[in-house]
Amino acid sequence: MTKATVLLEDAPGKEILLLANEAIARGVFEAGVRLVAVYPGTPSSEIGNNLTFMAPHIPNFYFEFSANEKVALEVAGAAAVAGVRAMMICKGPGLNVAADPFFSLAYVGVRGGMVILVADDPSMWSSQNENDSRYYALMGNIPMLEPSDPSEAKAMLLQAYELSEMLELPVLLRTTTRVNHTRAPVIFGKIKERPETIHFIKDPFRFVPLPSVARKRHPILLETIERAKEISESSPLNFTQGSGELGIITSGVSYNYVLEALLSIDCKAEILKLGLTHPVPDKTIADFLRRHRRVVVVEELEPFLETHVRRIAQLNKIEVEIMGKEQGYFPRVFEYSPRIVIEGLTKAINCNTPINWQEIDDRLKDLPTLPPRPPLLCAGCPHRASYYAIRTATRGKAIYPSDIGCYTLSIAPPLETADILFDMGSSITTACGIAKVTKQDVIATIGDSTFFASALPGIASAVYNEHPISVVVLDNRTTAMTGHQPHPGTGVTGMQKQVTPLDISQVCKGLGVKYVKVVNPFDSIADLVAEVRKMVSWVRNNSLPAVLVSKEPCALLTAAERRRTGDFAPKYYVDEKLCNACKRCLNRLSCPAMYQDPKTEKAVIDETLCNLCGTCIAVCPQGAIKREVE
Amino acid sequence: MTCNIDNAVNIVISGVGGQGVLTLAEILAKSALSQSYNVRVGEIHGMAQRGGHVVCTVRIGKNAYGPVVDAGTAQLLIGFEPIETLREIQTIAKDGHVLMNSHILYPVAVSMGQVEYPKHEEIVTNIKKFTNNLVEIDAMKLAIQAGSSRSLNMVMFGGLIGTGIIPISEESALKEIRNAFPKKFEIVNTTAFQLGLQAVQSVSQ
Repeated sequence: MTKATVLLEDAPGKEILLLANEAIARGVFEAGVRLVAVYPGTPSSEIGNNLTFMAPHIPNFYFEFSANEKVALEVAGAAAVAGVRAMMICKGPGLNVAADPFFSLAYVGVRGGMVILVADDPSMWSSQNENDSRYYALMGNIPMLEPSDPSEAKAMLLQAYELSEMLELPVLLRTTTRVNHTRAPVIFGKIKERPETIHFIKDPFRFVPLPSVARKRHPILLETIERAKEISESSPLNFTQGSGELGIITSGVSYNYVLEALLSIDCKAEILKLGLTHPVPDKTIADFLRRHRRVVVVEELEPFLETHVRRIAQLNKIEVEIMGKEQGYFPRVFEYSPRIVIEGLTKAINCNTPINWQEIDDRLKDLPTLPPRPPLLCAGCPHRASYYAIRTATRGKAIYPSDIGCYTLSIAPPLETADILFDMGSSITTACGIAKVTKQDVIATIGDSTFFASALPGIASAVYNEHPISVVVLDNRTTAMTGHQPHPGTGVTGMQKQVTPLDISQVCKGLGVKYVKVVNPFDSIADLVAEVRKMVSWVRNNSLPAVLVSKEPCALLTAAERRRTGDFAPKYYVDEKLCNACKRCLNRLSCPAMYQDPKTEKAVIDETLCNLCGTCIAVCPQGAIKREVE
Repeated sequence: MTCNIDNAVNIVISGVGGQGVLTLAEILAKSALSQSYNVRVGEIHGMAQRGGHVVCTVRIGKNAYGPVVDAGTAQLLIGFEPIETLREIQTIAKDGHVLMNSHILYPVAVSMGQVEYPKHEEIVTNIKKFTNNLVEIDAMKLAIQAGSSRSLNMVMFGGLIGTGIIPISEESALKEIRNAFPKKFEIVNTTAFQLGLQAVQSVSQ
């Protein structure tokens, strides 16, 4: 990772290799943004990770990791209403969480520039869906920009602020994984200063959307988006390049693949590249359609632009063949690649691909099936111990509602403790629904960051409505999955300030949970199993919710701490004389640091991978797993 | 005539989350930029990173617009582990080169006895269905020799430069390694680089 300090250099013109997310963090600095609020989520997380380290060094700048995306958008939106440049950052599903303020903010508008960055995840590398957030711009009447690479991502952030201030509307900056996680050369610009504070000027009949106010604001919003349409017609973000009989309309990361495709196939084409994709420039598109007999639309996910192009052709009575997803030239799922674009284009214009991919695909079929290597809980992960105990205590027979975080990986054998999941916080509420209509024991598991993000209303509801659910909060003291961001339970803020952390057990007691206990999953597996049994039986007897907080820092944090301090703790090993190759440790724990010696068939601990949790000791019936003593 | 490799060298780095694949990709790309080459890196973050199979792509040259390396277009495949090398073999271009670390990391499915880890000869035979240019080194042994198993990615970096296929000099590479790590890990990492470089050069000669 590029050091955050590099992003603070006052060196206009300097060229540097940056991840798009680092370039966006730099853009925040250059654009004079006064306040940024985020909830971390892949593929947007590294923006916040950089901003939190930059924040204490930037004068008049405030950065926070908000409890969730709705909170973040309200915090940032209000700052923009007050009159400073503000920003909210989230992943695709995060905008669903923030949908409520999103639509209201468009109605009332802003006085300072407001950018909402949403990072979609085509191919679902790290998400529960690949929803196309571009429809939010359409539905909310909010202008939208879509960059193609790291350099454009930074440039468009600055342009988004200008557009936002011109229209007094928030602007959506929509990225996708393959933009966020591309690293490329980026050039630093000048840094704009930030105001220290401003004075909030009251205007309640604009900023409080009572029905009477909202009825006035909606027509104003529609007029404003009409003005945005005119800006879109003349915006340099929408441009044509090249020439040829064929027309190609594209946006976002697909633009790169179109350029690469045209280098490798015998096809001359004129490209219309759209950077300002809501509102689309109707006249520009109509003129483009009139210049071509055939036009191909290349965009990832839904036929968003394609539908606009068909609408514009129909309105203007233009005779042109529009080729896209509707006829199956391009897929509606997953990320694109140059190959997908080449295959779609060659099918549309009826020529050969430059590489015989069919032949490569055929050769691949001859390869042996390789052992799968899906993502899994790390060696030394405290969740492994917790899930092992939950599973052992309930013999795998309870229902296990899961939640969003690393721990969803417990779905895999042998832990198999994830049965239902909708979204952030749904472990608690789905547990309630299942417990009301079945007689099965229900144990929900939820992480600490997710707890603060979305569990509290669910717990309040479970207490009040007397739902018989067991909840295990897997408190690993961080937001682990997205790269270890703080949350209200950690004691550090986005400004790097030490504060009093909220205590999960106290919060639960405050919400009225009668049974709350805190355990450490590494203390004793036997005790942990007993605690889970005790909680489940209490829930059965009392028909009320109960909470067990399993508290131990993420293994990656403890490993980093050991490396930092140079603390070489004693290692664990398998005593070959005692191991009888029963494989219980391998089959019950699935720890990536353990494997079977191909010759002796006995278990081995790979000391380069072991994170020294010691959970395996309790699992071995022979007492063969030991710790080195000095 | 090939797909997207005109004026672009495509490198695919395949391994297991935690082996330092991302770090290698970034240092390699910085070395390229320091020699004024255009460069693109495609990375994997988030859930996909947790101990699972990880792939990074590095593209160097004028015509590298996006980060994606398609099937049949990589001049160089760097495999941090035998089956993870074979898993990405379709990326290799005709007569492309493969550098493979022979040290095995057993996937959990193998440890649990659900599937067997393929025999070494089987892996090599199948790689050779795509290209005969295969160099193998025991990068784990060299990393431990350099002072830390965690320097494995720098052994692979040395090996990568040692293939002589990409236009990055040893000096630029070493300079970026020094910039990338804290001072106290500098010697381990530069030693690892040298060991990887020598290992591949001695095999290639």
